[in-house]
Amino acid sequence: MVDLGAKAAVLGRPFARISPSLRARLGILCIALLAVLFPVIHGNDADIDAAANALSFAALALGLNIVVGFAGLLDLGYAAFFAIGAYAYGALASWQIQPHWSGFWEPFQWLDLVARVHQPTGDLVHFQVSFWLMLPISAAIAAFFGILFGAPTLRLKGDYLAIVTLGFGEIVPIVARNTPTITNGAMGLNGVIPPQIFGYSFGIKALPYYYVGVGLIAFLIFTSYRLKDSRVGRAWMAIREDEIAAGAMGVDRVRFKLLAFAIGAAFAGATGTLYVAKLQTATPDMFMFPVSVMILVMIVFGGIGNVWGVVVGAMILQILQSWILEDMSEWLHALGRLIDVDWLQRVQLASSIELIFGLILVTMMLYRRQGLIPATRRVRPLSLEEQVAQVQRGGFTSLEGLGAVDRSDSGTLLSIKGLTVRFGGLVALRSIDLTVPAHSVVAIIGPNGSGKSTLFNVMTGLVTAEGGSINFAGEEIRGLAPHRVLERGIARTFQNLRLFPGLSVLENVLVGMHARLRTGAIGALARLPWNRREEAQARERALEILALFGNRLLPRADHLAGSLSYANRRRSEIARALAASPRLLLLDEPTAGMNPAETLELVEQIKSLHQLGLTILLIEHKLDVVANLADKVIVLDHGEKIAEGTAAEVRRDPEVIRAYLGRSAAVA
Amino acid sequence: MNYQILLQQVVNGLSLGAMYALLALGFTLVYGILELINFAHFNVFMVASFIGMWALQLLGIHGQGRVLTGFALIGVLVFAFVVTMLLSGVLGVLIERIALRPMRNVRGTAAMITTIGVSYILFNIILLTVGADAKNFPNPLPVVRWQIGGVVLEMREFLIWGIALALMVALHLFVSRTRLGKAMRATAQDSEAARMMGVDVDWVIITAFFLGSALAGAAALIFGLYYNFTSFLIGYKAGLRAFTAAVLGGIGSVTGAMLGGIAIGLVESLGGQLIAVRWTDVIIFSILVIVLVFFPSGLMGRATPNKS
Repeated sequence: MVDLGAKAAVLGRPFARISPSLRARLGILCIALLAVLFPVIHGNDADIDAAANALSFAALALGLNIVVGFAGLLDLGYAAFFAIGAYAYGALASWQIQPHWSGFWEPFQWLDLVARVHQPTGDLVHFQVSFWLMLPISAAIAAFFGILFGAPTLRLKGDYLAIVTLGFGEIVPIVARNTPTITNGAMGLNGVIPPQIFGYSFGIKALPYYYVGVGLIAFLIFTSYRLKDSRVGRAWMAIREDEIAAGAMGVDRVRFKLLAFAIGAAFAGATGTLYVAKLQTATPDMFMFPVSVMILVMIVFGGIGNVWGVVVGAMILQILQSWILEDMSEWLHALGRLIDVDWLQRVQLASSIELIFGLILVTMMLYRRQGLIPATRRVRPLSLEEQVAQVQRGGFTSLEGLGAVDRSDSGTLLSIKGLTVRFGGLVALRSIDLTVPAHSVVAIIGPNGSGKSTLFNVMTGLVTAEGGSINFAGEEIRGLAPHRVLERGIARTFQNLRLFPGLSVLENVLVGMHARLRTGAIGALARLPWNRREEAQARERALEILALFGNRLLPRADHLAGSLSYANRRRSEIARALAASPRLLLLDEPTAGMNPAETLELVEQIKSLHQLGLTILLIEHKLDVVANLADKVIVLDHGEKIAEGTAAEVRRDPEVIRAYLGRSAAVA
Repeated sequence: MNYQILLQQVVNGLSLGAMYALLALGFTLVYGILELINFAHFNVFMVASFIGMWALQLLGIHGQGRVLTGFALIGVLVFAFVVTMLLSGVLGVLIERIALRPMRNVRGTAAMITTIGVSYILFNIILLTVGADAKNFPNPLPVVRWQIGGVVLEMREFLIWGIALALMVALHLFVSRTRLGKAMRATAQDSEAARMMGVDVDWVIITAFFLGSALAGAAALIFGLYYNFTSFLIGYKAGLRAFTAAVLGGIGSVTGAMLGGIAIGLVESLGGQLIAVRWTDVIIFSILVIVLVFFPSGLMGRATPNKS
């Protein structure tokens, strides 16, 4: 979607004539050329070595960015996966483990994974698994540990997860230290075989490792971008922005958190293999807490969630560490000699790097939370026409965006029996019975605290019921996880608005389609033709859904949802719920906070949804809205159903008058 | 296994537990109000141990050579505890004021990342100024031992238990009986409602940081008097254990932090005895994960309120 405004905004800049996508490609090409030519231009071996190390840390930063930046899971023990990848290669490509030779090892010898070492005391096995093979294997091993470790802990709230990962980061080096048969304990592994390619051994020269590092970074950046702009990346960001809403919009939270953890761990595992191959040693001290913090500082500095940002952040901090601080120390020494100040001659700035890291962390958090390169782009300002709302009357003029609503439902779509919810001593819902016929609009009214929102929450799996049944289209859905409920065809909005504020309006709607799309991590990476087609169709449909609301949402499709006006946020939530192609739409006070004109507009829009055949259950306070829309009204008070009928019937019901206005009013 | 050795480890575990309980209270007070895991608390404890060391050195006590008795001993201890608790309390308040207050309404993990940064700064300031080697912690306590059924009880253990108990009772009374304590409880329940009822929430938060950090100061002195050393490294291990204690007891619960601290102290001493000291961290960490996953509200914690 390249619009004219974006083009106009860059007019007058030197590269404005080049299209943005071409400009991005040229930029990447320049960076790639620079990375490839750097050792040729600058032949200093120590500097190439430092650059190779910096690339390793940039790779780690990219991995942590998936976990922290995309999925919003604060991992304070990320170095553990780095250690696992390092030790995996270290143990399988060194003299550390030497079992006795037996026939079992022959096929492995044939595959060149092990060698037979002749010893007077009996032949031994020498592991010599190829570095190139170990890169993906280490990634897989680290991912396995990521899942193993994430499975019990990723259900925890975010802040608890942080402390658990902190502990995990502490445990892995302890285990490495305490299991000397595999890891050689505190002494560390020695004599790790350097990688070979076509018979050429990398040895201890930095140059080949530098190029492997460049290749790895290129692959990881590519992976990060492909994942970010896909169904998977949107699911992660939805979890980061609002976990409960993500679940309610069909994202299987545990599964996608585990996926983020596993992919992040895989990045670290592969990097650990590269790192240990370069150093040809691995000790527990290389993977302690300060390493985890350093990687965190890198992504905070570069911009949490921004792929290029974290690479830049990692490179800058590494260069600071290995070049700038050294140089500055020498300048200070020279200055000290010049003015004859003793302590200046002994200053070692490099030893204060961790202090600098701490200061960067706090300063960035206080003054520039989005990092050097923010993850979200600035959007162009709206034109005057776009800002002035075109008030629509008569409901949706075009219903293309909704596609075919499932009209096959008949009879009773939803039937709730004896539903009871208790919070401690408070009975929020007491034995509620209600039915929603297919293609009808049912309204639930009741004073504040009467259990209306709790009813929605228990239907969508956010609250556990104590007893009763919820039958949806012939299937019991009580106790299903929120994303399962959405998959069955119930989508909802929230009374107090739960959009994903850090995602664009379009992305919010796309998250709504999550359960209707199929692309997974591998599909996102490979972008096969069907993945591209699915994504293109989803975007097209999302824009059509936004277009339902006239010019209210469409011009703002690229704006952050958090920046919208209150009424537009309500509309976006409805659009997001519609994107899930629901059979039953739950609207929780859709007109709350809207002025009379906006209310009227929305009421007519809801009416068109109904006319299209959508079944709607809504909670509403405005009685005229209810009277206008609902085929049936259900009144709740103190968790009990006190009346049911048409709006006119309910309005005359003495119980209802008593609940709303008090006893004396009912008598009068 | 000899039951006397086990009993001896129980005695040791109670002393460690008293220390962890005091430290755990700092996590629980702040978490109860801000729902924030304050990683800075780890190293407030560590800095406080140096404050305690300097306070004792100020009175001319270096190492273990100089033993005091009677009023001199009481005076020295009172001075050391008051100075350490006051200064570490002020440190906690400064951290809140400078680094955490601006983060109060920021969503997500930003505030927690800030506390990690603060913790790291404290850690490295001490490392760069004091040095990496462990310091001999001044200890004026006379060594008085009683042998009861093969178990050795030292006077300093009674002293540790007494001080910890007194501080915890005082905190409990403060939270349950005073006006400010009531305001704290109200803020922990619902800070917005408390603010509307006229509670000065800023003041409540400052109080929580001051009390939590002051108790960390007391814990740090106990650490020094118990182990006779301090170093820039002590915050991490003790902090993780105290946090586990707070979670085990039910984070947000003052009584829970006390019980959890004692439980973790016993696990550390008995686990070290029965399994192996080098696996103690793994055991304690496993407890943390198991409690968080299966009993998230801990021993005394309130069930997490329904938020949707």
